[in-house]
Amino acid sequence: MHRLRYFIGLVTLALAAVSAIWIVRLLRSYDERPGLSLSVEFRNARGLRAGTDVRYRGITVGTVRSVAISGDGRKAVAQLLIEPTGARHACVNSNFWVVTPRFGGLTGGATGLDTLVRDSYISFYTPPNSGSELSDGSLLAGSERPPSNAEPEALDDVQHGDLLMTLLVPENHGLIPGSAVIFRGMQTGDVRSVTLAPSGTHVEVDLRISRKHRHTVTDKAQFWVARPTVTGALLSGFTVSDVSALLTPFISYYVGPGEGVLVQDGYRAAAELARPSFEVSPVPGKAVQQNNVRGPIVSDDVVLVRVVYAALERDTLSRDDPIKREGSGVLYLDSSGRAVVITARSLVDASFTEGDFWGDPEIDNEVIKVHLKDGTVMRAGRVWVDPKGHDLAALMLEDARPDLTGTPSKRIVFVSKAEGQFQLRAVGPDGAELPTQPLTEGLPITEDNHGASAVADGKVTGIFGRKPGGTVSTVVVLGQLPEDLRPR
Amino acid sequence: MSEALVFRNFGLAHRRPGGEEVLLEGVDLTLPGNGFFVLIGTSGGGKSSLLRILAGLIETREPAPRMTGELLAFGKSLTGENPASLDHDVAAILQDEGLLDELSPRENVEVALRAAGRSRKLAPALLAQAGLHNPPERVAQLSGGMRKRVAVARALASSPKLLLCDEPTAGLDPDAARTIAKLLRDAHDQDDGRTTIVITHDLDAFEGISDGILVLDRPSRSLRLEPSDFRLSHTDSVAISPEGDLGEPAAVHWLRRLLLQLAAIGETVVDSVRRAPPVEMGQVVRTTLRFVLEPALFVAVAGAVIGGLATFFALRNNPIDGGFESALLTGTGKVATAVLVPMLSGFFFTARIAAGASARIGTMKRTNQIAALRMMGVNPADYLLTPLVWAMVIAMPLVTFCGVIAAALAAAFAAHAASGITVNGWATAYFMTVRAQDVLVILGKSTLSGYLVALTCYHLGTGPKRSGGDVGESVNSAIVVGMALVLTVHAGLTFLIYA
Repeated sequence: MHRLRYFIGLVTLALAAVSAIWIVRLLRSYDERPGLSLSVEFRNARGLRAGTDVRYRGITVGTVRSVAISGDGRKAVAQLLIEPTGARHACVNSNFWVVTPRFGGLTGGATGLDTLVRDSYISFYTPPNSGSELSDGSLLAGSERPPSNAEPEALDDVQHGDLLMTLLVPENHGLIPGSAVIFRGMQTGDVRSVTLAPSGTHVEVDLRISRKHRHTVTDKAQFWVARPTVTGALLSGFTVSDVSALLTPFISYYVGPGEGVLVQDGYRAAAELARPSFEVSPVPGKAVQQNNVRGPIVSDDVVLVRVVYAALERDTLSRDDPIKREGSGVLYLDSSGRAVVITARSLVDASFTEGDFWGDPEIDNEVIKVHLKDGTVMRAGRVWVDPKGHDLAALMLEDARPDLTGTPSKRIVFVSKAEGQFQLRAVGPDGAELPTQPLTEGLPITEDNHGASAVADGKVTGIFGRKPGGTVSTVVVLGQLPEDLRPR
Repeated sequence: MSEALVFRNFGLAHRRPGGEEVLLEGVDLTLPGNGFFVLIGTSGGGKSSLLRILAGLIETREPAPRMTGELLAFGKSLTGENPASLDHDVAAILQDEGLLDELSPRENVEVALRAAGRSRKLAPALLAQAGLHNPPERVAQLSGGMRKRVAVARALASSPKLLLCDEPTAGLDPDAARTIAKLLRDAHDQDDGRTTIVITHDLDAFEGISDGILVLDRPSRSLRLEPSDFRLSHTDSVAISPEGDLGEPAAVHWLRRLLLQLAAIGETVVDSVRRAPPVEMGQVVRTTLRFVLEPALFVAVAGAVIGGLATFFALRNNPIDGGFESALLTGTGKVATAVLVPMLSGFFFTARIAAGASARIGTMKRTNQIAALRMMGVNPADYLLTPLVWAMVIAMPLVTFCGVIAAALAAAFAAHAASGITVNGWATAYFMTVRAQDVLVILGKSTLSGYLVALTCYHLGTGPKRSGGDVGESVNSAIVVGMALVLTVHAGLTFLIYA
């Protein structure tokens, strides 16, 4: 009997040893997470402590492991551990600086205000094409203040078709990357970088004018740095222009209607010394007379919309999973005049597709947005899903405009069985219709064709989704849709 | 007449660190069945060890005594690789009687009857046979003599073939001792097949009662049978210094102890699962209610103090007067609700309950109540571990939620007192980041903590108890180990889930 007990004791000892080894390894794995170890030297650590964040584009990608004084006593050296996701962005030319509150005077604005109530942290920025990635154990020189091309993380990426040009200004006046470029009071672009010309005679400001507005820049356009200017005399009264530039200076330009020719990328222009005097052209009469109907630009009478769905799946023992899906739907007005979009349920209902170990998934923060072709974005609510488990759902637009036009009823048929040759019609991310695609067997469901309308003989008969209970694609016919949700 | 016990070249030695203490050597003796024998010998000579071997009550967490030769009881070998168990053929009246304090004298007998598969209705007759016609309701109300009588009645419940009694007349005056001795003889005579062995120092009480006297002679390490008029001479009782016969090294002895301790831990864990279905649902419910009600107020007050103070000082020491209040409330709410208060509730629960539970079990072990349970064929895990595990697994989360709720209410009050924040405003901020997941995590942490604390109390309580000091030590260890386990579970799960 005691022999058995000695054996059980040995087994228990072995189990305890294995558990201990496992726990030690688990703890070590936290301590020795694969990551990039760096040392950054600062002249002043400005309150950095072990454990404070290292951020890239505002996202924490690492921590400060220790802060020590360098051997010669002239620098503070911070040891950083950067996680693999952030390590990819740390390059030889990356700038590291300590984020503390900074006030740039009236025109420079204030940055790092979050560190008023929190610890300082280290931020880094990597300019484009910054050379090779850093190797483990690299020593870098940190800067005391954000680099001159700071705040680049606030800039939108340059899109294909944007106008890239350079404005030469006699003085900066507090412009920073991200400062707005304004035309007729509307932002049409932004400042990408501000640098002193090599000759030192002026400042070069790189601008980006978005594709949508690049036709507003011609060679006759006059540019100036907007800052408050007071004109007038004591007796005649004062005029203060560009007061809004008091805290955040911006660049403004003006060109009269039809003046000049469009410019190319790389165009260089010299800014005026002060706001030029000009008369803003009034609204042309032609514009007033135009039949100002806003609504989907209908190429034929089937109205397709882009459906964007976002939600959060709450997980009990792991991090919550964000869910984002995009696809297409068909817009029409139902018998009561309400704007209805029919689409695939798997596109707009995460509870239909997600599973959870504990049972039904907990889906939260659901947001459904519908992008019309004219750029309007509207929120929509899910009003119906197929109770029989087919991949079909109906959305209703919130606050739809009364002049909204939808697909006429003659273009939608509610059959209960799919027949004939189908073609898929869908819209892309910009709301423009994608090329018509023949429906072939086993076509995978993608962002482009998810919820696409299946059209046969010019009539929408179904939605492209998945077969019940599986991932195989199919055409879900509209026959199940309730009568009161059908078009008039 | 068949033979009751046969010793063939039998030897017995205690394993001690660094050596063995030989008690018996080369004993050849046959005890006839149906005899009433008195066993005498010097203190520490091995009488009780022999009784425990016969009764199958060897301490499992210490190296077992080394036995050589052969010992047969009713033809079954109690030595060798796979010693037989006499089960219901043997009953023992141990020192301190081992009466279960929580039951009435009658219930004590009923438990033994039920364990032996006999009708509980026989209890009054057995008590009457032992001279107790109207026993009091509680064991605590029994006099020393009455305790012996209840113990005799209980021992007779299984109609044992071998009845062992360890000092049944100790602490009694000569008249009472004589009465008990006669009672034992009467009980012996009622069953033709019964053999009775009584360990005693009080030969006067058994004068003319026994059929023979077994003398365990320490100097010669022998056991011999003498006639009933034998008297121990002065020279016979000379104490012998323990011998350091060379055995295994001390390190091996301690390794044996360690392995047996670990095996006992493994056994406790396995028992907690195998014995999970409650045998006595009433006992589980009573214990659970007690474990919820006793610490609830204590934990609620502690939770309220922590939650209230944390919120009050967070708001009061706010460097920006009136600013970031919702952020401060959200921070304290998450930390207090999900981490701090559940862990401290676990501590308070352990301090309040684990001490009592392990003291109770330790006392039962010390006073032979657990040995008595084993003797009756009742698994102590059914009687002690199962109710403990159920009660703590249910009570710990309930008490923890008491603490969390009290902390939340106190925080609301503190927020109002420190900054005039309304209850609605407080609730919005306080619970902003507290989610259903946090409640599940609290439930998981407190349930696992409760389970581990229950195992700790049982394991430490049922360990060897040679003195009251051992009981105290086990209580202290239960609190320390229990709290360490609560800390480990809370820290570990918090780290795994939130890190």
